[in-house]
Amino acid sequence: MRFLLRRLGFYLLAAWVSLTLNFLIPRLAPGDPASALQARFQGRLEPSALAAMKKVFGYTDAPLYVQYFDYVKSLLHGDFGISVAYFPARVTEVIGSGLMWTLFLAGTSVVISFVLGSALGLLAAWRRGGWLDSVAPPAFIFLGAFPYFWMAMLLLFSLGFVGGWFPVRHAYADQLTMGWNWPFVLSAIHHAVLPATSIVIASLGGWLLGMRNTMIGILAEDYITMAQAKGLSPSRVMLHYAARNALLPNITGFGMALGFVLSGSLLTEIVFSYPGQGFLLFQAVKSQDFPLMQGLFLSITVAVLAANWLVDVAYVFLDPRTRR
Amino acid sequence: MALALPACRRQSVEHDPGVVTVVPTQSATWIRHFNPFLQSQARWGTVGAIYEPLLIYNSAQGKYVPWLAESYGWSSDNLTLTFELRKGVLWSDGRPFTARDVAFTFELMKRYPALDQNAIWVKLRSIETEGDHRVHVHFAEPFVPALFFIGESAIVAEHTWKDVTDPVTFRDENPVGTGPFTEIRSFKTQVYELGRNPRYWQPGKPKVQAVRVPAFPGNEQASLALLRGELDWAALFVPAIDRIFVAKDREHHGYQFAKVEGTVMLYPNHLRKPYGDVRVRKAISQAIDRQLITRIAMQGYTDPAPPTGLTDLYARYKDQKLIDEIGDFNRHDPVAAAALLDQAGLRVGPDGVRTLPDGSPWKVDVNCVAGWSDWIIAGQIIAKNLRAVGIDATLRTYDFGAYFQRQQTGDYDLSISYSTTGGPSLYTYYHRQMSTETVKPLGVAAEHNWQRFGSKEADRLLSALARTSDPKEELELARALERIFLENAPTLPLFPGPAWGEYVSTRISGFPTKENPYAALAPYKAPGYLLTLVELEPNTGTSAAHTSTGKTTGNTSTQTEGAH
Repeated sequence: MRFLLRRLGFYLLAAWVSLTLNFLIPRLAPGDPASALQARFQGRLEPSALAAMKKVFGYTDAPLYVQYFDYVKSLLHGDFGISVAYFPARVTEVIGSGLMWTLFLAGTSVVISFVLGSALGLLAAWRRGGWLDSVAPPAFIFLGAFPYFWMAMLLLFSLGFVGGWFPVRHAYADQLTMGWNWPFVLSAIHHAVLPATSIVIASLGGWLLGMRNTMIGILAEDYITMAQAKGLSPSRVMLHYAARNALLPNITGFGMALGFVLSGSLLTEIVFSYPGQGFLLFQAVKSQDFPLMQGLFLSITVAVLAANWLVDVAYVFLDPRTRR
Repeated sequence: MALALPACRRQSVEHDPGVVTVVPTQSATWIRHFNPFLQSQARWGTVGAIYEPLLIYNSAQGKYVPWLAESYGWSSDNLTLTFELRKGVLWSDGRPFTARDVAFTFELMKRYPALDQNAIWVKLRSIETEGDHRVHVHFAEPFVPALFFIGESAIVAEHTWKDVTDPVTFRDENPVGTGPFTEIRSFKTQVYELGRNPRYWQPGKPKVQAVRVPAFPGNEQASLALLRGELDWAALFVPAIDRIFVAKDREHHGYQFAKVEGTVMLYPNHLRKPYGDVRVRKAISQAIDRQLITRIAMQGYTDPAPPTGLTDLYARYKDQKLIDEIGDFNRHDPVAAAALLDQAGLRVGPDGVRTLPDGSPWKVDVNCVAGWSDWIIAGQIIAKNLRAVGIDATLRTYDFGAYFQRQQTGDYDLSISYSTTGGPSLYTYYHRQMSTETVKPLGVAAEHNWQRFGSKEADRLLSALARTSDPKEELELARALERIFLENAPTLPLFPGPAWGEYVSTRISGFPTKENPYAALAPYKAPGYLLTLVELEPNTGTSAAHTSTGKTTGNTSTQTEGAH
């Protein structure tokens, strides 16, 4: 318990530091949002209207510390301000529109890839030198070496554009309305197949190799020999003795991967026109939409920290050494 | 995982008959926003399909089309602009459209400068209604070029807008307009649909049931959909369009890349040596191979700009005789360029590089935006061309903010940038290029006229141009301004920007074609696209579209001619 509280304290501190960096970095970067606004309009907006627009967006020349306190104050109220690129929508609303789909797509594919990769790695190590062990790791490492967006484009072109078996864009068929009904759910799954597959293929190899290599080390441990000598069933030795320990590094990786779910599928989303968070981030950076950028970075930071904390909790259950 | 899905059948393209699928712009997601005053941020359709203007300028034919106003006229002193409004127009909630609505719209812009994006009120004094169908716009001083901005302003309903507390952040999620598609049939983050307005004032129109606007995050995804035949109307940059799009179905696939967007220019900094010398500017211009630039940087989708910088939007002002008389310094001629530079005293030094007249080295930086690839390619060609005549030129790219600041404050040698047109009158264009009013000293940010060129003669002509509503006098003044521009070469026009537009007429017909270019095709040009939108109609029997369209298209073109 003390361990978890201590970790929690650490995460709060980390959250504050990242909040502050989140505030500073866009302001220290070259260019400013006002000129970005000018770039968007390419001179089609008269200076007087531009000045009025700036006021609406809340661009001020106030000293940095004043801006910082305003920023913290509005964050505590859950107010991220008005998005520039999606004016006059509030940042929370813009993020809300993409969050669900990103969580669904990237979350599902990370979980699938983690479970599948770890299981394959486990089996490969258990039957070391078998056909799975000799084929799967090199094959998936090879596939994983392709950038995942390239994989996405390949799938889109072959199965979507030429084959026509899968939709090439969006999260669900345009004529359906969102809701818990079969046509919609099936359509959403159908639309997620290609993007999810591209992410799974690209990331599977890492999990597989990590699991396999740790497993092999652990299988040489004395307590495995001991367990086998006691006459325990092979599956019990494999799952309760070896896998449980071998999984620890992968769990850490899984926590990180979960945290990066919110930002990590950026290019996949762009390729498949998937209405997720990744593309919002890209667009926010491009149009120097400070409020949206801050909102997105903040949500990513919080997600990474929360996922790490959950990993800590999981460790407490998996590894008795942390329970002091 | 894929194999386990029941839905794995050949993905058919879903099309409801009578629905036009249009991709006017690209975005990751749609936010429900139909505030016509914030046109550039509002969803497509806000100005045009939902809210309509008094007049629409048809850039393909170079004339105003009366819309909510049946006619307009200037008083003899050009201090009052009067609109006769169309009778029998209803708002989509059934209330009548009157002069009060027009006056209210402009008064709202006066109260909230952020809504007055074209700064109309800088020149206006007041607005006055006379009865239900006449509006007088009074000017503080004559300013005829304002006709375009006033005429194309979207008119809102007083009864729905008068209670809006903050119109600047108002999203107008359920708009009430006079346009052909006022009903928001559905609105989702990835697609929205505007349904037809049964009360629309043009009898029998619109003939299509709805307009569907899907969200595409980028050009590639949207092009893919266009090539798959899923779109009816789009504004896309498609590489090798004749081969990959038109050749697939010559009868039904077409495009129009009208050269009407602002001309991309090379701005020389007149307050820096030696760019204040007109011979140097003309020599630089002659050294540039614009054919190569338009072919490589713009894929041949535009042509080299004439030395006046006039785009096809100003076709009626173009005068080749004038250009021939003064000399076309936009023609690629490195020999003449070198001779002119020698004449200006910028001779080639012993190392093969030209120096300033006093013998000090002459280094030329070409200012450009990082990441804007067409401009960068143009910049690379320019730098190469200049080096070929002995000028030590280098392309420098900066992030837009840094680039624009250099350009605005005059901290550059040569800069590649856009120019703004601002309607069919030449006033705005030349005012921003040659008026002494727009010249700022070095170090002070200039909104326009980054080259810092001012001509007293141009001032006089511009002020006369602003005061005249007589077409003949206007043309004479425009020609005189062109002459000043040609004589001084204040900026070096490179190429006009194309306005992208593609159509697929297998399901929907009535688009402006090569044979019948009755309006601009580019769907993003609001409210101009409305001229096309109201002419669209579904082909009879969508399933048999391939066999029957030939006939339908023929019918449509005759109908459209009748309508104009």
